[in-house]
Amino acid sequence: MRSFLSYLIPPLFIFSDVLASDYHEQLNLKPLPQSSLLASFNFRSNTSLSQFEAHNFRYFPRSLGQILQHVGTRELHLRFSLGRWDAESWGARPWDGTKEGGTGVELWAWLEADTEEEADLKWLTLTNALSGLFCASLNFIDETRTTRPVMSFQPEGDHGSTLDNMHLLHGVLPHEIVCTENLTPFLKLLPCKGKAGISSLLNGHKLFDASWQSMAIDVRPICPLGQECVLQIEQTIDMVLDIERSKRPRGNPIPRPPPGHDLKCNASKPYHSGDTCFPSDFAEGEDWSLDRIFGKSLKGTCPLTDPDAPPVCIHVPERRDIFTTPGASEMKSPDGLSRCYQVPSEGDFSMMLPRMSREGDNAKTVADETVQPETPLLYAERSFTGHGQDRGGVQSILTNPSPDTIVEFVYMESLPWFMRIYLHTLQARVEGTSGAKDDIVEEIYYRPALDRVRGTQLELRVRIPPASTVFLTYDFEKSILRYTEYPPDANRGFDVAAAIITILPSTSPGAPPSRQKTSNLRTTSLLLSLPTPDFSMPYNVIIFTSTAIALAFGGVYNLLVRRFVGADEGAEVAGGLKGKLTLLVAKLSAKFKGAKGKVE
Amino acid sequence: MSSSLTARGLTDRSTTSEFEAKTTSNNAEGNGDNGITNAAMVTTAQPNGLGPGSTTAKLKSPPPEQQSHIVRRSLIAASFWLLVLCLGIPIWWKTTTIYRANLPLNQMMNWADGKSCSPVFPIRIVIEAPSLTEQEAQSLISITQNALDAMHDFPGHRLRLEAASQTSLGGIIAPHDHENNALIIRLTPGDIATFEPASSPHAHLPIFEITYPPNSKPTPEAKSSQLATYIAAQLRSTFAEEQAILSYFLATSTISSDQQPQGSHNRIDESLSKRMTRSMKYSGTYHLTFSLFTSGSNPSSWDIDSAINQYLRPVLDMLKPIHNFTIDTQVQLYAVPGVQSQVLTKEDLSSFINAAEWPLSPSIGGAPTINFVVYMGNQTIDLYSGEETSQSWLVPQWGSVYLLSPPAATHVPSEFLKQPVLTFASHLLSLLGTPQSGSLPMRLSTLTRVRSVDMLLRASSSLGSLARLSLALPSISIPPSVADGVAKSIHHLELACSNLGSTKSLEHARIAETEAERAFFEKSMVGQLYFPDEHKVAVYLPLLGPVGVPLFTSLVTEFKAWKTRKL
Repeated sequence: MRSFLSYLIPPLFIFSDVLASDYHEQLNLKPLPQSSLLASFNFRSNTSLSQFEAHNFRYFPRSLGQILQHVGTRELHLRFSLGRWDAESWGARPWDGTKEGGTGVELWAWLEADTEEEADLKWLTLTNALSGLFCASLNFIDETRTTRPVMSFQPEGDHGSTLDNMHLLHGVLPHEIVCTENLTPFLKLLPCKGKAGISSLLNGHKLFDASWQSMAIDVRPICPLGQECVLQIEQTIDMVLDIERSKRPRGNPIPRPPPGHDLKCNASKPYHSGDTCFPSDFAEGEDWSLDRIFGKSLKGTCPLTDPDAPPVCIHVPERRDIFTTPGASEMKSPDGLSRCYQVPSEGDFSMMLPRMSREGDNAKTVADETVQPETPLLYAERSFTGHGQDRGGVQSILTNPSPDTIVEFVYMESLPWFMRIYLHTLQARVEGTSGAKDDIVEEIYYRPALDRVRGTQLELRVRIPPASTVFLTYDFEKSILRYTEYPPDANRGFDVAAAIITILPSTSPGAPPSRQKTSNLRTTSLLLSLPTPDFSMPYNVIIFTSTAIALAFGGVYNLLVRRFVGADEGAEVAGGLKGKLTLLVAKLSAKFKGAKGKVE
Repeated sequence: MSSSLTARGLTDRSTTSEFEAKTTSNNAEGNGDNGITNAAMVTTAQPNGLGPGSTTAKLKSPPPEQQSHIVRRSLIAASFWLLVLCLGIPIWWKTTTIYRANLPLNQMMNWADGKSCSPVFPIRIVIEAPSLTEQEAQSLISITQNALDAMHDFPGHRLRLEAASQTSLGGIIAPHDHENNALIIRLTPGDIATFEPASSPHAHLPIFEITYPPNSKPTPEAKSSQLATYIAAQLRSTFAEEQAILSYFLATSTISSDQQPQGSHNRIDESLSKRMTRSMKYSGTYHLTFSLFTSGSNPSSWDIDSAINQYLRPVLDMLKPIHNFTIDTQVQLYAVPGVQSQVLTKEDLSSFINAAEWPLSPSIGGAPTINFVVYMGNQTIDLYSGEETSQSWLVPQWGSVYLLSPPAATHVPSEFLKQPVLTFASHLLSLLGTPQSGSLPMRLSTLTRVRSVDMLLRASSSLGSLARLSLALPSISIPPSVADGVAKSIHHLELACSNLGSTKSLEHARIAETEAERAFFEKSMVGQLYFPDEHKVAVYLPLLGPVGVPLFTSLVTEFKAWKTRKL
């Protein structure tokens, strides 16, 4: 796994090699347990800063470049994510979690500005412009959803002295549903536009059908030693496909139960017989091919890439059989855990991974089909506790699975203002290690919410001892919103953005390479239900109070201005409709009185 | 209210008794509590006697009401009405009224009708004639001026001839630089061989060189001279296009017909109107985007920077006093045009740009974008109309497209781009609305004047629309920012009108136009659309109905009682 990660994350010394060729793309495939497949698409293009400032765009997309120039953005990170990464079975995240965001849309950027107000204005322009470019509601990232993280994010590019007047702003839209209309502009930014190269595999039907997917755009300046600074844009798409689901033909996508003779049964069950079957889903690996999984084949290579860099790599054990279309050449990595393919520049390319028989002479095991995923540094989950419409609580469970290393990380929550947290209820409880102290929270940065102005920002620096679990809990109060502040589907609930966990690089000198980098992790987003009024209320209130006031006023006023005289002294009332009505009322009330009297 | 009703219902049925009469008289004192005690007493009184149906009782007239009671009752009614009128209505008015800033409607309508400013350009033309004597020059000028005035039928232009200051016609003319002169006519005597005057425009300066035969020198006494007629005819043809454009603008604007030029200029030239609709809306800055679209993967880079510097920069430098330009370039591979056919017909050209897939989004920022697209593919244009070249066409108000067949190499050198960039330069000029005839400096000075008139008319018509809108929708709110914008716009319009023809007036007209547009498109003015009158009725009626009816009836009763007392 370590070697795979080093493949995925090019260490800094590779950059000099990358600069020679201005555009680079690679697809990394990795079969995961439970018949899933992780596909990581990576596209990277560079432009020299002088060309960028002269507005000459070649590989760098002009539409994005103009926005960045207009608002003075030094570094930009944009994420579109959907689904949940199942860390229990899939292991560590691709790219160490640095190229994924919380569910929905996440954006953070370093803007060049002299004052905070200027930075806010530029941020507003940036979100509006990106909203138009990516067909996403990024313009809803207003001041209540914007935070200025203190400990969680560090710039990735080389900024030199300009770092002093750079402002980091971060915004999340957890409610945003990522879909095809976000993929199309994403592909438009690529030099080969999904027409050639690995991007020709991307298609909205498969991407948004995935169990988990994340689209990322990172723009950062990079200054290699002794060379001109370049601006790098890196676009990444990671997705976990359910192989069986993806193999369904486009024309007949409805799942149907397989016929009896195709059922894979778990023969170890005591009741297993000819007519009873306990289906075993993942007992035998699936066979799959690139064109069936993605619905189309790879169309040649993008001619702008370095012809020596292999565009497709797959991370499987050496014994796994793989067949490819003719013309492609295979290169095995020395550790035997991955191989890469040189794709013919014209014509279609596909690869086929047949089913490996678990029986017979040449029986294969699961270990021959997939590489065992690496254990992540930290497991994190977060949920609501409590009940009722008034108060609630949040509990985050953070587990350090490693038996011997301490994990230090920053836990950041940016909560909406209508979720008022009680910081004094914040508690961290450690379980697992005997005799562990509970004061594992080393540093707290807290920026309280202001109603309708900004949300809560909470950053905690935590150290988890080895093989232990931390329960982080706090309580909050739900506020009542104004009538117009409720969204149209108020009873659905309000999305609370994912907590962002930044695992800090290990400081010990002997740490393995995977621990020497910052890695990220995000919890799932939460759905908070707030007390929701009946939305016809204002009209009811208007009519009710009006009627009450009118009744009281009419009565009092009539008593004040009428003259009361004896019944025999008043004018004759018996005539006409009014008189008849009065008589009727009198009769009815007399009857009523009589009945009442009888009862008494 | 219902309790008092029952009370009265019961009183109706209860008959004569001293006790009853006393209670009613008590009640007449106008105390509300008494009414209720009265009711209680009546109910208690009921069982002692008189069953239902005893309506045969004799009616007596009530005792005369005390004067103080009558006065008190009138005072009560009056005080309620006073409260409603002096407190209720003002509060209601204050809280529900829509803020409408005062707009100078008359002034705005005057601008829109063209009553405030008639666009007249004083055009100063200087005649440099070093070879002529002062007197000769003077007489030549007066004859030419007469000839011009005689043939001139367009009121928008006032051509004024002057002698150049070197020949010094006394201190009448203030010393002026070249900028104030629209045109300089340089007269040089030709040799004996020249029989007719000949003219040639200067390439880079607004100078008109006229070579005349020596014998056509005017004499001071002559009423007409061949040279003078020639100069007048030349000037007229020089400014003919500008006049046509100006009269086109005046004709298409909302300015009323009496301000429009009469006669032959009144009809709108077909080709001129086509050309005018092609040109972009005026702006101080334009973004120029040069895009290389390739049908396949080759070529992927081009030397556009040096091509622009070589072939386009001179034109941009000339345009600098009027427009600023920012330039960006991009390369896009695998671009599929909107039309797939090999040979493009005239109809195909309009759908050639694949707006859905090509990243030609307008530049960020306020300025409009002009797109110049070089498409490398093997498509050709079918030449059945000779209007355009076979490789490029102009897309009105958008930009221009140039088709090139792809070279073998992956890099396009700048020499290869010479023809496209030169074509783009000429397309740029026509997209900016530059007139087609004359030398480039002349065309640009014409452009300044034409654009100022255009801006002036646009601003005026925006003001007029705003004035009409505020009159037509009485419930629309007009925030103070709108009034502010209108005031600024009118101020700049006046400034622009007072020195028409200069670059300053163009600047003022531009500010006036943006201010007028901003005032017209003020966001908060749209809010009223969401609050219709039916809505108000639904909210007010439950309150105002039941409260208003007793108030009104009491007023009417009091009024009737007062009238009967009077009689």
